[in-house]
Amino acid sequence: MKKTREDYIVDTVNYILLTIVAFITLYPFYYIVVCSFNDGVDLMRGGVYFWPRKFSIASYKQFIQDSSWINAFFMSVARTVVGTLISVTVTCIFSYGLSRKKLMFRKYYILAVVITMYFSGGLIPYYVLLRNLGLLNTFWVYIIPGTVNTFFTITGINFFSSIPESIIESGYMDGAKELQVFWRIIVPVSLPFIATLSLFVAVGHWNSWLDSAYYVRDRRLHTLAYKMMTTLNKIMASSSDANTAGQISTANTTTNFTVQATAMVISMVPIMCVYPFLQKYFVQGLMLGSVKE
Amino acid sequence: MKSYISVNQKNFRRSNLYKFIKQLDLQMFAFIGLAFLIVFSYLPMFGIIIAFKEYKISSGVSGIFSSKFVGLKYFVEFCTDYRFGELVRNTLVLSTLKLVFAFPAPIILAIMISEAGNSFFKRLVQTASYLPNFISWILVYGISTALFSESFGVVNQVLKNLGIIEKGIPFLTRPDLFWVMAVVLSIWKSSGWWAIIFLAAISNIDPNLYEAAICDGAGRLKRIWYITLPGIKGAIITVLILSLGSFLGGGMVGSNFEQSFLMGNNVNNSTSEIIQTYAFKMGMAQGRFSYATAVDLMQSVISITLIFISNAVAKKITGEGLF
Repeated sequence: MKKTREDYIVDTVNYILLTIVAFITLYPFYYIVVCSFNDGVDLMRGGVYFWPRKFSIASYKQFIQDSSWINAFFMSVARTVVGTLISVTVTCIFSYGLSRKKLMFRKYYILAVVITMYFSGGLIPYYVLLRNLGLLNTFWVYIIPGTVNTFFTITGINFFSSIPESIIESGYMDGAKELQVFWRIIVPVSLPFIATLSLFVAVGHWNSWLDSAYYVRDRRLHTLAYKMMTTLNKIMASSSDANTAGQISTANTTTNFTVQATAMVISMVPIMCVYPFLQKYFVQGLMLGSVKE
Repeated sequence: MKSYISVNQKNFRRSNLYKFIKQLDLQMFAFIGLAFLIVFSYLPMFGIIIAFKEYKISSGVSGIFSSKFVGLKYFVEFCTDYRFGELVRNTLVLSTLKLVFAFPAPIILAIMISEAGNSFFKRLVQTASYLPNFISWILVYGISTALFSESFGVVNQVLKNLGIIEKGIPFLTRPDLFWVMAVVLSIWKSSGWWAIIFLAAISNIDPNLYEAAICDGAGRLKRIWYITLPGIKGAIITVLILSLGSFLGGGMVGSNFEQSFLMGNNVNNSTSEIIQTYAFKMGMAQGRFSYATAVDLMQSVISITLIFISNAVAKKITGEGLF
């Protein structure tokens, strides 16, 4: 098929626009990496765009030596690992149970799940609840309240419903009980789904900050995301004067901003490694306002 | 006598209770999840009654029932508050701007990506485009500080070097720029992710339609207009309904709260404060729990009404609602 003049024009304009889109999307990430590797005081002089002018890993050293950053980092790792394990286990068991046609009262249970998607008690009653359960200011406030997520549950019900009934039946033939069927038959055939679900849940935990900001006062329990937020607010408060954008000490040329950039890089890298795997199963899930029967 | 018992047993075996006990292990699967929903989703719904009461946080659970009933006192107080008009305006303007600009953006992006023939470049752009969706708003806020800060932001540096401006523009603190920044950042963050849905819809369009159009002499733009767009009408309507349902939260990009909370500051407060952040501050910072619950509840009631309206409209247009 021969290309017409219109084809050439459309293609050219489209490629240019898409290149701009790609640049606008990726450059901010790249620039943060550049900032983290540039000397802090030097960066404030401006003019660093595509490459560190005065290369330095001082910000990374500062990050590692600062116990509050390192502590926040490990707190994020801990909540991500523990939270993902618990949440994925419960979500899979729950949504598998709800996916079984023979489950009595199934319709009502699913309705109970769907309702929580549209109705909630709101911020304050939720806070009052957490307070009365004694979860405030504990590590478990990161884990327990968010264990069952409506969106993940519905995606799970959809996925497990797609497993052929004959596979499950063959388990019963061998005299297996529900838990055995789930563990020996369902889990092995669902591993790709469980892996994707785990990544999704893990990214959510890694990124979460509101709970750290409002349900936890103990500094030792603050996560990386929350620590970044407080540092950013400090930087914003002082940014009217570039000199105070926060050189940490005269002996050290890192600034609050470059250490912040370092923290951002450290918190971005895990997400960049896993995110291309996240679209499977969940894009369709986005569209599901309900479970279609 | 013997046969009487066996009849009874037969009846029992046919009864629902027996069936239920028989599948008790499967029921346990469901109960595990339901327990979490009951505690963390349904109990707070009953907590809403504190909006109608003089509730003190120190009185614990029993205080919810024993505190004095004040009716609509806090609702009236919010509606007559001097900031009421401003808060409602900010919430509506931010939500409307997002619906107008952030809703079409992924559709345009998806069409652009699908029109790019070169498959490596196409995949590169597509994969890059949904990366921002997976980073937290804290990181978006951090990145925007690096780019738009008045003193050291890259954008201000470039504009200064080009001689367009003399002094840095305080993009992140100027009240009149808050809405623009909020909408631009949510487009940047979410367009790529939502484009995936429209790309999937585009790939489902019958290729014969395009070939027939070529035979009829339709150019590229005409094919986009007469085949691609009608072909993804269903996806567009579904996403539009979802957006309308969560209109006050920021539509499908749904980030009004995070944005106002993080990017709001004392300088731009007059445009950045929305109903939800106001409720949050009243409750958490000032300890006015009943008042905050009432404010939050008013927004929820409007939201739920919107969900039902958009669902009814959807049923009328497409014959199929979301629930």
